[in-house]
Amino acid sequence: MKNENRVLPVTTDPDTAPFWAAAREERLVIKYCEECDRPIHLPRAYCPVCRRRSDVWRDASGSGRVYSWTIVEHQVHPGYPTPYTSVLVELADHRSVRLLGSLPGRVPLVGGEPVQVWFEHLENVTIPQWRLVEAGGA
Amino acid sequence: MTDTWKPDTTAIVGIGATDFSRESGRSALTLAAEATLAALADAGLEPSHVDGIVRCDMDEVPPVALGDAIGVANLEYWGDVGPGGSAPCAMIIQAMAAITAGLATTVVAFRSINGRSGQRYGAGYARDVRVGGRSAFEDYFLPFGMQTPGQYFATVAQRHMIEYGTDEQTLGRIALACRRHANANPAAQMHGRTMTMDDYELSRMLTTPLRLFDFCLETDGACAVVVTSIERARDLRQTPALIHSAAQAGGHDAQPGQMFPALLREDITTWSSTDVATILYRRGGVRPADVDVAQIYDCFTITTLIQIEDYGFCAKGEAKDFIGDGTLQVGGALPINTSGGHLSEGYVHGMNHVVESVRQVRGTSTNQVADAELSLVTSAPTTGGSALLLVAG
Ligand SMILES: [Zn+2]
Repeated sequence: MKNENRVLPVTTDPDTAPFWAAAREERLVIKYCEECDRPIHLPRAYCPVCRRRSDVWRDASGSGRVYSWTIVEHQVHPGYPTPYTSVLVELADHRSVRLLGSLPGRVPLVGGEPVQVWFEHLENVTIPQWRLVEAGGA
Repeated sequence: MTDTWKPDTTAIVGIGATDFSRESGRSALTLAAEATLAALADAGLEPSHVDGIVRCDMDEVPPVALGDAIGVANLEYWGDVGPGGSAPCAMIIQAMAAITAGLATTVVAFRSINGRSGQRYGAGYARDVRVGGRSAFEDYFLPFGMQTPGQYFATVAQRHMIEYGTDEQTLGRIALACRRHANANPAAQMHGRTMTMDDYELSRMLTTPLRLFDFCLETDGACAVVVTSIERARDLRQTPALIHSAAQAGGHDAQPGQMFPALLREDITTWSSTDVATILYRRGGVRPADVDVAQIYDCFTITTLIQIEDYGFCAKGEAKDFIGDGTLQVGGALPINTSGGHLSEGYVHGMNHVVESVRQVRGTSTNQVADAELSLVTSAPTTGGSALLLVAG
């Protein structure tokens, strides 16, 4: 897919670069505090609980659940044609960790509905996205 | 935690506003000067009396530039209090802090914005740029199409509906109350433009579940107020609006950035407003039931709904039971946004709410609440909040 008009992430920021580097390898990673064994999400240098400085990233399962969403009808950006459904996903293995995703069209969602990560490869960056887990499917 | 808060030691003594429009034809600096000169005239003061200026850090106009523009020769104090919507009450708090610390005697707080003809917040943040870094974590949101305040607040509203069964009609009643009040306020952009629940429900869906009439009015305009000590206030032209209580709070689990990262808080339908409310009521020695009239930050209807719960006017999740027809209108249990608010008067980033709150304790609102003694004004999300309780001096 071409990058034209899409909003793309900076992948060289010291706090977030490992997330985007892992995405290029089709891995979803979350930062952890080694001491507390809890996620530091969004990823920052210090654990807000124990103040330990951490550089530990762990693979997430890639399974999630729909926490909330909005169906965008009013287009504000040329790279994001409407309608699309912006979904807020909580990770199945770490419910305190949430990530965004974008689904084309008006998707009739239900709170708690299972979703699975997939990786959208653009020219120079890979974006972790989410799709509904079909009934009876994986 | 205890503090040494002393109620009613400072006051708002002057209020000023420009017209609210879609195209002011003036610079933000001109608007700021116009509102400030109006506030000083209202108080019976001259620019030479001003020695402090406070603004929010999203304003285009630096304090020193405003001082220079209106001929303030002895500016000895200025401050920035953080981003837009959470700032207006905090600006008054900073003015008050400067005064009580002896750093200034007469402080102007202002907000000036060409929010319609200039940069529109509703237009989104990025065009063909890379986002992220700068400790704002925009890279976790904007690439996925989560790009505007409307989309953010819609996602919060959807979650409130999932958790509590909140319905769109409750949001509609908030919009209707604001519109009704704007209809009686000649300065409001929606003066004379009535709205029914049918109009609300038929309005264009912009980002589910929020419709056109759930959104505030992008506006050009400015508001300013003058703060001074109670001793000086007694000698001035107007009945002072005493600052009975004041509070700021960031809440726990705040997350970084200005807006989108708040979607990752443990609970996205309870805000730092709850922390603000706790401090505010404790310092004021009052309860929610004591509030006679409230100006509640309303960039969107859902913003107000959540704060009605956070400030304790009903329990969390029960807004749909509390807000009936007329509840929020003058004569109802909790009259809110009596100038029309952001939804129907204009969006001056919460500063018009401070101005209207002062009018209520003076008894000069175009939608005056009878016997209004305790007036709440809130400045809200998403990074943190602030609020004031005003009483007539
Ligand atoms: Zn830790």
